[in-house]
Amino acid sequence: MSDLPALEAHGLHKRYGAVHALRGIDLTVWRGEMFALLGPNGAGKTTLFSILATLTKPSEGEARVLGHDTVRERSLVRRNVGIVFQEPALEGKLPVRDNLLLMGLFYGLSIRSARARANDLLNTLGLGDVAARETSRLSGGQKRRVELARALVARPDVLFLDEATLGLDVDARRHFWSEIQRFVANGGTVFLTTHYMDEAEPADRIALIDGGRILTVGSPQDLKNQVGGGVLLLSTEDNARAADWLREHGYVPENSARGLLLVEPEPAAVLPRVLAQLPVRALCAEVHEPSLEDVFLRLTGRTLEDGTGPAEPRRMGNLQ
Amino acid sequence: MKGLLAVVILDLKRLWVDRIRLISSLIQPLLYLFVLGSGLGASSTLGRTGYLHYIYPGVLALSLLFSAVFAAMLIVFDRQVGFLKAILVAPVSRAAIALGKVVSGAIQALVPATILLALLPLLHLSLSVATFFQLLATMILASLTFSALGVATAARFRSTTVFPIIGNAVLLPMFFLSGALFPLQNAPMWLRWLAHADPVAYAADLMRGAILDRYVYPPWLSLTMLIGFIVILTWMATRVFAAGEDA
Repeated sequence: MSDLPALEAHGLHKRYGAVHALRGIDLTVWRGEMFALLGPNGAGKTTLFSILATLTKPSEGEARVLGHDTVRERSLVRRNVGIVFQEPALEGKLPVRDNLLLMGLFYGLSIRSARARANDLLNTLGLGDVAARETSRLSGGQKRRVELARALVARPDVLFLDEATLGLDVDARRHFWSEIQRFVANGGTVFLTTHYMDEAEPADRIALIDGGRILTVGSPQDLKNQVGGGVLLLSTEDNARAADWLREHGYVPENSARGLLLVEPEPAAVLPRVLAQLPVRALCAEVHEPSLEDVFLRLTGRTLEDGTGPAEPRRMGNLQ
Repeated sequence: MKGLLAVVILDLKRLWVDRIRLISSLIQPLLYLFVLGSGLGASSTLGRTGYLHYIYPGVLALSLLFSAVFAAMLIVFDRQVGFLKAILVAPVSRAAIALGKVVSGAIQALVPATILLALLPLLHLSLSVATFFQLLATMILASLTFSALGVATAARFRSTTVFPIIGNAVLLPMFFLSGALFPLQNAPMWLRWLAHADPVAYAADLMRGAILDRYVYPPWLSLTMLIGFIVILTWMATRVFAAGEDA
């Protein structure tokens, strides 16, 4: 990481008609940093992403990528960034190699160097075996890797990932993220959006976003420290009664999908007392370090999965 | 220039993997030529052969028109599947993408039309080398006109459901009004007036002139009109693409 900014946002607002999608975003991402924008659906992630990636103009404020204005110096920005979109952006009917080769031409490479670059990426990303295959016939994980290869064709300094591993299985996701780690290790900057906290976890810094505003920014550990102490999760036969009892006894329980959450400086010390005196039978009790989910819950009173936008099918295994 | 070339190479690669589209685009012109042409020709005052010769250039125009506009309509498809985004974030100017689309649409339209030229000897039409090149030059001009029309239109749409509407409500009327199937001289006044606004009419007339040496409009007028259409429609196409920054 260096102290040169890779991405800067100053007072960004975006309105779509009556919808105020971004309500004043200020943000700096340093070069060499892996930065995650974490928030529920409809929080404004994709809008902020689109502005930084030169696809949308802000209604107010300005954004810079590597020092270049994303509106006035759009093509300078484009030359230096690679983008993996939420939706597929490949021509399914063409072979994998041709997709990469053509993208090289769009980035101004000669046919010869575009071909060399395509082969290079196919090898490093483990796609050599499927290079000649029609892109639409690849597996989900392979397709995502080709998307990544497409984004890397022009040797970008900054890589944008918008919900890049949505719908991938665990193996494919691990494989994908190890490639991202390698990009960062080689000095690249990564800006990613996600609504899964485990995808944000490996980031150097995370910004929590909700309702078009940044709630907080910091390293995963910083954010968890904000919660203070640990989290006690309690599931009982009658959570409503248990919550009432807890409130009467000076605790601050918060409802979550899995039960009642108590944030305590020393949760392990509190647990036996609560269990012994609770008037309803406890079914399950656990103590854990605060997760990013807990941070979000603390700041908004909602879980990441609740969202503010259209519901998406819930993926298995994303909540600890 | 490199961006323009990249668009053209991309589209031609796709045309090659999608050869079925090329073959099936020949069906409609062949139907018009041999079914409609033979059927109507039998009761036409021009006689069967005379009528086939009359509509042959019109059918070339039909082939160019539909192939060019539908090649452009693939932009809508690309936008729908998300592929267009990858191109729009590349460091290529929107004008270069629009121009590339116009050129590639014209090339995609010329391929099936050139295949239809193989029918010339079958129809007992023999052209001198000079008139053959005159015909070819006219075809290139026509294909650019129709492609620019297609790109200027397609870049505005977000959904592929408009395809059949464009085909039936825009392209077929343009084809029917053009005098491709019947001589405009004998047509009612209103129809002749409408034909003046129809680029297909000038294109078909120039091609018929090259083959049969018979013109409805003076060639200079047709040439001026086609070039005018190309300039205006291409300009519109670049404007639509440039305006689409919030894609």
